[in-house]
Amino acid sequence: MTLNNLKTSLVELDARSRAKAILDEGTFRELLGPFEQLESPHLAAQGIVPQSDDGVVVAKGYIKGEPAVIISIEGDFQGGGIGEVSGAKIAGALELALRDNKNGIPVRPILIFDTGGVRLQEANYGLLAIAEIGSAIIELRNYTPVVGLIPGKIGSFGGMSITAGLFSKLIMTREARLALNGPEVIEQEAGLEEFDSQNRQQVWQTIGGEQRVVTGLADMLVEDDIPSMKEAIHAVFDKPETEKPRSTQVARYQTLLKATDPSYKMQPIEMRELWKQIAEGKPVQQTSAFHEPKNGETSYSRGQRWFEALAGTSSKHAEVQSILWTDKGIGGDRARFIAVIPNPNSRFPRARNGEVGLEEGWAIAECVREAVEEDRHGEKRAIVAIVDVPSQAYGYREELLGIHLSCAAAVDAYATARQAGHPVISLIVGKAISGAFLAHGMQANRILALNDEAVNVHVMSKQSAARITRRSIEELEKATEKVPAMAYDIHSFATLGALFGIIDGVDANTPTKEDSDNVMERIHEAIRDVKSGSTGLEHRFTQNDGRRASILVRKRLEEQW
Amino acid sequence: MNTIHLEFPATRRLTKRAHVGVVGSGDLEILLEPSEEPFVKLTVRTGTTGFDRTWQNVLERFFEENDVAANIKINDFGATPGVVKLRLAQALEVSQNDVEQLEN
Repeated sequence: MTLNNLKTSLVELDARSRAKAILDEGTFRELLGPFEQLESPHLAAQGIVPQSDDGVVVAKGYIKGEPAVIISIEGDFQGGGIGEVSGAKIAGALELALRDNKNGIPVRPILIFDTGGVRLQEANYGLLAIAEIGSAIIELRNYTPVVGLIPGKIGSFGGMSITAGLFSKLIMTREARLALNGPEVIEQEAGLEEFDSQNRQQVWQTIGGEQRVVTGLADMLVEDDIPSMKEAIHAVFDKPETEKPRSTQVARYQTLLKATDPSYKMQPIEMRELWKQIAEGKPVQQTSAFHEPKNGETSYSRGQRWFEALAGTSSKHAEVQSILWTDKGIGGDRARFIAVIPNPNSRFPRARNGEVGLEEGWAIAECVREAVEEDRHGEKRAIVAIVDVPSQAYGYREELLGIHLSCAAAVDAYATARQAGHPVISLIVGKAISGAFLAHGMQANRILALNDEAVNVHVMSKQSAARITRRSIEELEKATEKVPAMAYDIHSFATLGALFGIIDGVDANTPTKEDSDNVMERIHEAIRDVKSGSTGLEHRFTQNDGRRASILVRKRLEEQW
Repeated sequence: MNTIHLEFPATRRLTKRAHVGVVGSGDLEILLEPSEEPFVKLTVRTGTTGFDRTWQNVLERFFEENDVAANIKINDFGATPGVVKLRLAQALEVSQNDVEQLEN
């Protein structure tokens, strides 16, 4: 049996063969291969058969004669979902590539996406891993282009689309799709009128590879043909990087958003024309961006109450009224406080209840980056994210205009601040859900949470998670007893080791002066702790033994690197 | 999840281990390692319950026709008997060939 040279499709291959096909011929060396049987420790407990490589292939080899690491996600296993082991394989490989590049040993990193995002059966483990993957990519980009290939059939969705937004270069086929929320999820959350997931033409016109490349959300369109894909990847590494990563181009994308009119459903073709003008540097007409409350609706969220209690004001972002931010002294240090709150008059109808939407992600990025810029040569102020975010915004406009990138921009800004030496603290006072939490809170050096029943961390509502994993809500709740990563309460989340502390004895709903003093002291304690430690996320591994598999994967990867 | 252990006598030695398949809808993953013992030992993990007898029959028949001493792990995601036989045949082929192939 020889290699079949007639067939050059990559999409038809499994994850391992895809990695072999992209690397220079004969250079594939797999790390943590199937015979090591480092499988998910959380699936069997739920009656799900694990796979021996947990659906991620990591291999070293060469790309056009230069050392490379390739990571390939198996879309046929659990929809390419990111669990603890598969996530740690991706994060660990990128962290080792970073270490090598820092030490002057060039390693070219490539990721082949085929994923629906977080694996719902391992929920918060997936979220934690995706935050770590993002952090590694942002730092690695300083040394080498980080290249993503999205061949299809699945594409890249959920938290992994935020990850894709961080890449230096993205290569897609026409068949591939890139979106934060899949069409089915949007239809389920927002109704058929918002997005008809059965309308395949509309789906591909909105989030398909061609549209993404033409509107600047991806870089190169290729055929499903191995030589063309290799050529595209080689081209990226051949040419020195000139453009800044798109998740850092805050002003450009804010210009785009301001030029759109969300009062109607913009068509994909209009987005193409608008992007063409922006890409060519032509002026675009700005629609009115500022909206005063019109209907007297007020919504006073927990996030806002805590922001005011701690920061002493409620100063809003000039244009995005759902973002509160201000600077305040904190025991001799300075801190920038940022919160996302509901804005019932948001221009974007799907982002009026405190969700992280298009405008919110970019505005967070702007607020964080401004602090990084101002403190470039001085004392780095702390950045405190007050987290009460019910979800990311689910909507057609959101996906067309690239909400995954807006979330990536916030991730990028927080991680950049942290890596530059700003202590980044997040304080969970309410909901911390999914993509919204990834964007606003998950990149912190230290995470604090209030001890309260309404303080929740998870990736999807119980109803949706039950439907997608084909279980009843009772079965789902039973599974959470065995796998705390699937539970919603803050004490289960704490067992994963991600928290610096749970704050007891405060009124989470209506903080008193004493409560806010108490919490302020805990924030200050966290800032001091960061200052004596590293700028990375390692703190999360050392709190308890909640991340055993994540640590083991990294250790074994390093041994075989 | 259901785990089934099976063992059949075998004499022929294999030289190479093999990994084929994926734990995806209607498919299964097979890890095959050569064994020094005169048996083929199988561990099947499947999400589908109530088919122990079918597994027994399919595997017994296959290893009557294919005499190989090996330790085999099967991770099943609802494969039909036909797919099981095809994947086993593929695993044997890989374990007896030097040239690796790209698989789908």
